[in-house]
Amino acid sequence: MSSAAACTVPGPQRVKWGENMLRAFLAIWIGRLVALLFRWLKRGGTSLPGYLALKIDPQLMGRLTSRYEKVIIVTGTNGKTTTTNLLASILRAAGLKVVHNSEGANMPAGVATALLARRGEVAVLEVDEGTLGLVTRQVKADMVIITNLLRDQLDRYHELEQLAAAISRALAAIPAATLVLNADDSLVTSLSQVRENVHYFGLARTPWSQATTSEVLEGHICPRCRRPLQFNFYHYSHLGNYYCPQCSYSRPPADYEARELELSSAGARFDLVYPAGKLALRTPMPGIYNVYNVLAAASAALLLKIDPATIARVVATFLPGQGRAETFSLRDKRLTLMLVKNPTGLSVALKTLTAGRGKATYLLAINDLAADGRDVSWLWDADISPLLQAPYHRIICAGLRAGDMALCLKYQGVKEADLKVIPGQEESVDFLLGEPVDEGLILCTYTNLALYRRILKARGAVSEVTPLPSLSGTP
Amino acid sequence: MKLRLCHLYPELLNLYGDRGNVLILRRRAEWRGIEVEVTPISLGDKLDPKAYDLFFLGGGPDQEQGVASADLVAKGPWLKEAVEAGAALLAICGGYQLLGEYYRTSTGETLPGVGLFAVYTEAGNKRLKGNIAIQVEELGTDRPVIGFENHGGRTFLKGARPLGRVIYGDGNNGTDQTEGARYRNAIGTYLHGPLLSKNPHLADYLLRLALQRRYGEVELPPLDDTLELAVNEAVYRRFLPTKGKW
Ligand SMILES: [Zn+2]
Repeated sequence: MSSAAACTVPGPQRVKWGENMLRAFLAIWIGRLVALLFRWLKRGGTSLPGYLALKIDPQLMGRLTSRYEKVIIVTGTNGKTTTTNLLASILRAAGLKVVHNSEGANMPAGVATALLARRGEVAVLEVDEGTLGLVTRQVKADMVIITNLLRDQLDRYHELEQLAAAISRALAAIPAATLVLNADDSLVTSLSQVRENVHYFGLARTPWSQATTSEVLEGHICPRCRRPLQFNFYHYSHLGNYYCPQCSYSRPPADYEARELELSSAGARFDLVYPAGKLALRTPMPGIYNVYNVLAAASAALLLKIDPATIARVVATFLPGQGRAETFSLRDKRLTLMLVKNPTGLSVALKTLTAGRGKATYLLAINDLAADGRDVSWLWDADISPLLQAPYHRIICAGLRAGDMALCLKYQGVKEADLKVIPGQEESVDFLLGEPVDEGLILCTYTNLALYRRILKARGAVSEVTPLPSLSGTP
Repeated sequence: MKLRLCHLYPELLNLYGDRGNVLILRRRAEWRGIEVEVTPISLGDKLDPKAYDLFFLGGGPDQEQGVASADLVAKGPWLKEAVEAGAALLAICGGYQLLGEYYRTSTGETLPGVGLFAVYTEAGNKRLKGNIAIQVEELGTDRPVIGFENHGGRTFLKGARPLGRVIYGDGNNGTDQTEGARYRNAIGTYLHGPLLSKNPHLADYLLRLALQRRYGEVELPPLDDTLELAVNEAVYRRFLPTKGKW
């Protein structure tokens, strides 16, 4: 059993610009040169410039951010990328010069790459929850937003409690930072420590809130007295309104609360009630998890004193970047591509994609490479009931773990005649294109995502969603 | 015919798809016309040793396992009584460790277990994780039992019979090639995946053990396991350290 409380952590080493000048200049110069080279080669999306620059000057992140007016870190299991992109878009719309890292590049090398690419006034940095400590050791963040802590790739961060302890230590290094925390996640609220500058966002009871949940839960033990928590209701996964029957621990009141939520396949709308007023928000992003992303980004923006009208305007048009849920048209078909990386992500994706949809063929492409998580047992922890109830024409299982996916579906009630196991990704797409339905829904793990997009493009698919402009300054 | 299955701490010990095992047992019984009744038993509940044919105990994260362990040790005598009377049991990972004699933490503290299996566990530094295949003699087939393991503890046999011999992977402790433990009709193992999904031979073996207490030798009609066996073979071969060696 690990205990992480009361650790003494050295304060942030705010690096002075003067020391080791040569090393810093060399790091920045080489990093930018490599970035330029990649731009010439038209190969974006690499963290190599930052990786090399950090090799030369390990304190580079601290050095590069020391001259920013605000440094904001977004971390947590799900929703980091969407929250980061949305917040950056809002701040940019408010006239600020914003730098932020592009999708997935949330390890130190990716963060450094984004910071190298250009200079700004505000940095919005998506940081991997497992390596937050490496960043806060040198980056004196002004604000940390924590979206949620859900079960994700357990063979990497094998237990959430240890992860929470590591995040807690990482936050102790930046005692002056404002924390923006998800009130509905008991693991996240346990990170509030003894601070005054903590703000909570959360979701009031909705018509979709449930008294029980069929998902496998984590983090439902009281962080204070370690008894099982009780729930008045759940929103999704272990997010909801909880209390401890033994001690006084309970969901804190949300300073930024989403109320009167309406959900549809075309998006969501809700009132954001905050200390100074009320803001009506409408988003084209469907799904309750996106409500949380909007809530986190809008709450942070309000805390940063951004004009509420600007926030509402950006939220109303913001669509997630490539890969979160991308729609293509190809021949006579409409194909949707979506990333799933953990049980909650799969549960929510199925709930969102099946809602109100007619006959479609689903393609689940599961890999088990390092970036996907080697262990695929999490498939069995997802709530796949929305898929079972959907009028699916067929379910294709693909990828290195196609068989595991198929077995999971078979035992949950899908007839073998409705299942097709095609491990090869190319072959699975060709089979999907031959299906007698108009719609194809492709859910895939991390390493399959880029692959499927490439396969679809190679067959002439046209993206229906305008991708976000590149945000890290590289084309 | 009816199978009475007791699922211990389903809301606490639920890592790595372990609940899938209960679903698989239920389906494989129901497909053969055997009725299945699953009873969840958790903190503070009484456990009637005579009421169940099969017990299932999964693994959990540290904190949930800590919460469950004290309660389980209190229920220990009932569980032992049931196993002595012939009930079958399947315990995975953390559940397996809790049913051993004790767990010694990295600080040297000794946490008592139920003592059903004559094994003990010590905290280790590096987690033992990855795909694993074992040979289980009782199954009477060369087909391996495959799964995924992920555990920090090293378990050592103190007289208990192992469930199987490691073909590849780490097993109980990464050193002696043993995996899991047996006592009468009880099985403890580190394999998840979930375990029974790709091992229909083991699932049926467990069903037979569970049913024989009340119904004697039971002949289970064969099912169409084409998919299960194909996945077992494909995953087994993919992770063989040197292809063709076996
Ligand atoms: Zn409590």
